[in-house]
Amino acid sequence: MTPLARSRLRSTVIHLVLFIVLGFWMMPQVYMLSIGLRTPAQAFDAALFTWPVTFDNFATVIRDNPLGGIFLNSLIVTVATVAIVVAVASLFAFACAILRLKGSLFLYTTLLTTLMVPLASMVLPLAILLRNFGWVNTYIGLILPYAALGVPFAMVILKSFLEDAPRELFEAARVDGCNAWQTYWHVALPLVRPALVFVTIWQFIVTWNEFFLALIVLTKAEMKTLTIVPMQYSGLYMANPGALFAVLTLIALPLILLYVLVQRAFVRGLLAGAVKG
Amino acid sequence: MRAEAVRAGPAAAIERRPASRTSTLYLFALPATLLFVVFIAYPILWVAGQSFYVRSGSGTSSFAGLANYVTVLGDPTFWIVVRNMLLWGVITIPVQMLIGGVLAYFIERHTHALRGFFRTMFFLPVVTSVSVISLVWVQIYAPYYGIAQEYLKHVGFVMMTSPIGDPKMAIYALVIVNIWQWTGFSMLMYIAGIANLPSEVLDAARVDGARGWRLAMHVIVPMLAPATKSLLLLGVIGTLQTFPIVHLMTGGGPNRASEVFGTFIFKQSFVLGDTGSGAALSVIVLVVALVLSLLQIVTLGARLTPAGKERA
Repeated sequence: MTPLARSRLRSTVIHLVLFIVLGFWMMPQVYMLSIGLRTPAQAFDAALFTWPVTFDNFATVIRDNPLGGIFLNSLIVTVATVAIVVAVASLFAFACAILRLKGSLFLYTTLLTTLMVPLASMVLPLAILLRNFGWVNTYIGLILPYAALGVPFAMVILKSFLEDAPRELFEAARVDGCNAWQTYWHVALPLVRPALVFVTIWQFIVTWNEFFLALIVLTKAEMKTLTIVPMQYSGLYMANPGALFAVLTLIALPLILLYVLVQRAFVRGLLAGAVKG
Repeated sequence: MRAEAVRAGPAAAIERRPASRTSTLYLFALPATLLFVVFIAYPILWVAGQSFYVRSGSGTSSFAGLANYVTVLGDPTFWIVVRNMLLWGVITIPVQMLIGGVLAYFIERHTHALRGFFRTMFFLPVVTSVSVISLVWVQIYAPYYGIAQEYLKHVGFVMMTSPIGDPKMAIYALVIVNIWQWTGFSMLMYIAGIANLPSEVLDAARVDGARGWRLAMHVIVPMLAPATKSLLLLGVIGTLQTFPIVHLMTGGGPNRASEVFGTFIFKQSFVLGDTGSGAALSVIVLVVALVLSLLQIVTLGARLTPAGKERA
């Protein structure tokens, strides 16, 4: 075999193996969709695929459930959290990396300890705090704790990006008469754009899928987010797996679609060194 | 804020101007500090304080010293939790690294046109809602109509009940779900590491005759050490905050066999309303996390963020 033929063969084999592994890897999602597309008669068949398929389950669950409102709750909480995290973390990173305020390194190290705190140890005190604030069943009761937990990670990444940026740019801005706020807005933020995109997408994913705190803070049906409603549907549709898995598919779909749309920018931020610590 | 910042100038701190003029610059650091104080530091101090109090039937709290800790440590469930957490971390972390690393290696170094496709597809479980994933896996594991038992029969693996209903197997069945969900994350961290490997080093190694298996094991694996250390650190913290998969799939059962710190704290605090022992448990988890993290940071030089490459 010529070297070229051998390398082509190897590439084909590797692709084949990757596709087989991927086939197994995707089985849970394929299974979910497949049950959602079944008629009641096939719903309990122990098979990955059945035929024929029907869209009745999707029509039923969309008609019978306020999925739009639940989706909106998730969207409000997530977008607000992401906006706060990006704003607050970039301001803080700017103070540390560019302004080099006295004491900012100490603050930075202190805030970093948040990354070592498991959420499991925070739910009880946060639940009591939010009850005292009267913030149970409110958006703000989730948004601010999520933001506080999210800021440290974003701040680390943005700070390391700012430190790698050429300092002459900030000098030039100063000479041109920019004040701190203008330098932050017109020089620093555009410079770290890939990192901002990365942080935004990651925070969006984490917030959208957060379960533990949402379970405790949101008890009213009309406030619930997409991650905590599947449990109630599993009771509601116990005898009707087709409907259950149709609604689960609909719940999972928005974030999957969003990720597919933004994955290129996400990975670009990652490869640009967003995660070099 | 804007007007005040205007007066101060960007490099005020660098030029060491009088403190009165730089003080407005602290507004940049204020929001993050406030969020930290109110939603992280204060709750932690509160829970630490509360762990020394017990609440009597009439609703008043009284100081109880270490009573809550004694109660918690004397509870057999606590030791089941410790065992489960150890198993969880010891299995999940290396397996995810291994599968994620191997996938990353082949995707990064041997695919071109389909690289983006593979990267995205293997990452999808990470972005799929964990509550959806949990219910899907309950169905997969189910007896009679679940596909796991149906298909495993053909390779001689026969189960009579759902593995999550069996006290001996439940925790392993949950670990599998967790590995499946988070391997894409390890893969992506390693992809960042591999993509950022300096090509001169790889070329030099190739000139020296290292290729294939030897190149991977002796050159690439050692150079990915920063990513590996970060994954270890994140894995330990992730293990300690395990909750949704267990809560949704077994509720810590059967007979508390799959209980983890998250579900244990949840039950003590919110189901039984015993905030004293809930607080003591929270403090224990917190201390374990801090000690293990600091230990890794000091001994391994691990970092708290997923690391792709060494800092230049």
